[in-house]
Order: sequence, then structure tokens, then C-alpha cells
Amino acid sequence: MSDDRPRIISRRDILRRAGLAGAAAVAAPAAALGAAAAPATTEPALQAQSPAAPPREAFENLTATEAELLEAIVERLVPSDQHGPGAREARAAHYIDRALGGALASSRPAYASGLAALDRYATSSRGKRFLDLPATDQDSVLIDVETGAATGFAGSSAQFFGLLLNHTRQGMFGDPYYGGNAAFVGWDLLGYPGIRTMVTPADQKALEAHELKPNHKSAYDYETFNKATAQHDLHTHEDLAHGD
Amino acid sequence: MTSRAGICLAGLMFAAQALSFEQVTAQETSQTITVTSPTVKEGQPVPRQHTPDGRNDSPALTWSGVPSAARSLMVFCEDPDVGNPPPFVHWVVYNIPATAKGLPEALPIDPAAPLPSELAGAMQGTNGFRRPIYRGPAPPPGKPHSYHFVVYALDSIVPVKPNTPALTRAELLDATKGHIVGRGELVAIYERK
Repeated sequence: MSDDRPRIISRRDILRRAGLAGAAAVAAPAAALGAAAAPATTEPALQAQSPAAPPREAFENLTATEAELLEAIVERLVPSDQHGPGAREARAAHYIDRALGGALASSRPAYASGLAALDRYATSSRGKRFLDLPATDQDSVLIDVETGAATGFAGSSAQFFGLLLNHTRQGMFGDPYYGGNAAFVGWDLLGYPGIRTMVTPADQKALEAHELKPNHKSAYDYETFNKATAQHDLHTHEDLAHGD
Repeated sequence: MTSRAGICLAGLMFAAQALSFEQVTAQETSQTITVTSPTVKEGQPVPRQHTPDGRNDSPALTWSGVPSAARSLMVFCEDPDVGNPPPFVHWVVYNIPATAKGLPEALPIDPAAPLPSELAGAMQGTNGFRRPIYRGPAPPPGKPHSYHFVVYALDSIVPVKPNTPALTRAELLDATKGHIVGRGELVAIYERK
């Protein structure tokens, strides 16, 4: 994607707002996101593809239509630019898809109605489905959704936009274990050097000089906080959730 | 519906606040500017393409009667029927060259995109949605609101500090006190069912 494409939210905004959100997502206990239990989705969909079409991956909870639309939306919320890859490359939509089968399951109906309403609004106001609009018009649609000016939503469109943006940030800057922040692109964008169980004086100096190289490690790459622990915590929370 | 009727519909409180704003600007205004548009007509509904029910593009405006003392112009689109305090601001453009005869339709919504060359030096200010772009009328269903496309002529250029947010209508009115040498407006309405 070229650098000159308009963006709905500036990089500076994302970075400013993401600092805390990203840190919170990183620090969240494994059970906080039930999607951790879901297996990673890396297999291309077993469906006919034209030779020119990029391979499509299966989603677990969203329909193909919803997933395609969500991918396009997150790409506009955090587009790739000269600073690095954006939310599509971070697989933020895949994070959301997985989480909708777990910790974010309560948001599944909001996605079903919200995504359908957004596409209807794009068609009624701009004459084309969201996917078929140029980037500038997609941004214009999203701004109207953000400001609550878009019609056809259950409640204010701004509420759905807030949900989308919050989950996109999680998928962009959370621990890659949960399915987003692929290849640590979100942390690299923030300049976050990675989770460390020990920081030496030399590390501290390098960090302050912005010379500490990222270690590209998930929290679950450490034995003290591993996937087995995450699964255990998840099941414990599930028991509690269904126990009363 | 006329703009006056629209203000009345909005309630006495809003009307009173809008009136106080008119009084403030009238103190400084020395010459009336005539504002027209190829699409927006006085007292008529704002065309759909300038609202979020359509493409939400900014309308083209033209003006005449700019005083010879003018060095720059600024344009607001404001709804005196809402806002805390009123008016709610939909659009702000400032430091428009005094030689400009109007604004073209559909100014860019990307803040990084340049404005047309005939507007060199002009900037879009921060609107009520906290964005430096045009966002058209989207009143809550119930009754029509009035939308004032206001053009000011200034005998100065608004100082712009680098790396600071685009100015708001309130900041601009404050910064231009004593420098307004002309004013005109085009008033249309919009209603959502």
C-alpha cells in the first residue's frame, strides 16, 4: 500500500492511544481471552481459487462475507505506511474472529448486525458495497460510522465503531499468542522491545538509548507463563463461568 | 422553511444563544459578502450529497463583495440549533486567499492531502467532531435544523504554529477579533425522518 493513502486515524493517534492498550493486552492473564484455547488457523481454505487470487484463510466464527469486510475495515483503521505494516498484516481480523469464539463471544451478535449495517450504509450512501469503494470513500464511511452519523445501525453507529476500534487495537498490539500482532509487527511499530523476565543494567542503558533490540517473544515463550498455564487458567475461568 | 423559522423550531434557548453570536459578529462586520452555491440554496434542504445520507462531500461555495481591505477569508458551516454551547460546527476553513472567489466541491478528507492550488495557504480547521474536515448535516430525527455557511473577510492572516492542531471556530473568532472586515452567509436546512 502506498504512503499517500488517506487514513481515518493517524499513526500518531494510534501510537499515542495504543501505548496503554497494548501494554494492557500484553499483561493480561491468559484466561482473559478465551480465544487462547482455539487452535491457530493457518490452513488455507480448501476452495477453488483463481490463479491470480491470493489464498484465503478460513475463519472460525465469522462468515466469509463478514471476514472479508472486517479485513477491509481494519486495514483502513491501521493502514500500512512508511512506519510499517498495518492491521491487516498484523492479522487483527483473525484475532477478532478467534476471540469471538471465546472471551469476546458476547460481541458476536454486535458484529453480525454491525457489519451488515455498515455495508448497507455504504451502499445506500455511496452507491457501492464497502469493499468496492476506493480507500478515500471507505474512510469517509468509517468516519460517519465513528461520529454516529451513519444510519441503519441498532443504536448509534458510534457504539459499533468503538467496539471495532478497541478490538482492532487488541489484535494489533496484544500478545501474538492470541492470534494478532503477527510477527510482532504491532510491538515493532510501538518500539516495544518485548517481554523480558530479567533486565540487566546494559539492557536498561540500551533501552534508554532506543538501541535495545526487540526479542520477539510472547509471554508464553517463557516457562513461568506458558501455554499450559494459559489453558489451565482458561478452564478454571470457564468452570467458574458455568458454575452458577 | 426559512432560516428564521428553523431557529424558532429549535427552541428559545438555542435561538437566544445564536442571537448573541450574531450580535458579537455584527459588532465587527463592516461589509456584507454575498454567499452562493451551485448546489446549496437559501432556505432549501441541503442536497443529500453534502450529508452523510449521501457522499458527505463539502459543497462548492462562491462569494462576492469581499472588501478590498481583505487579506484572507475564513468559512464556517455551523448549526445554531445544537451544540454545547451552540453552534455545532461542521466545517472550518481559514487563511483562504482573499483573491479566491469560492471553494470547490469535495475538499479532501485526508488532512495530509493538499488543497487546490487556488487556495494556497488555506487550512481546514477542527470541526465539532474534532476533525479537520467537512462533515455534513446529520440532525436527529424530529425537526429540521438550519445550517449556516458563513464567510468572513479578514484584514489579516491567521498565524499558524507548526505542529499544532488545526484551529477551531472558537479559537479563530478569538484570534480574529478586530480583524473582521466583511461577513456573509448562506442558510439552508436539513431534516432526517
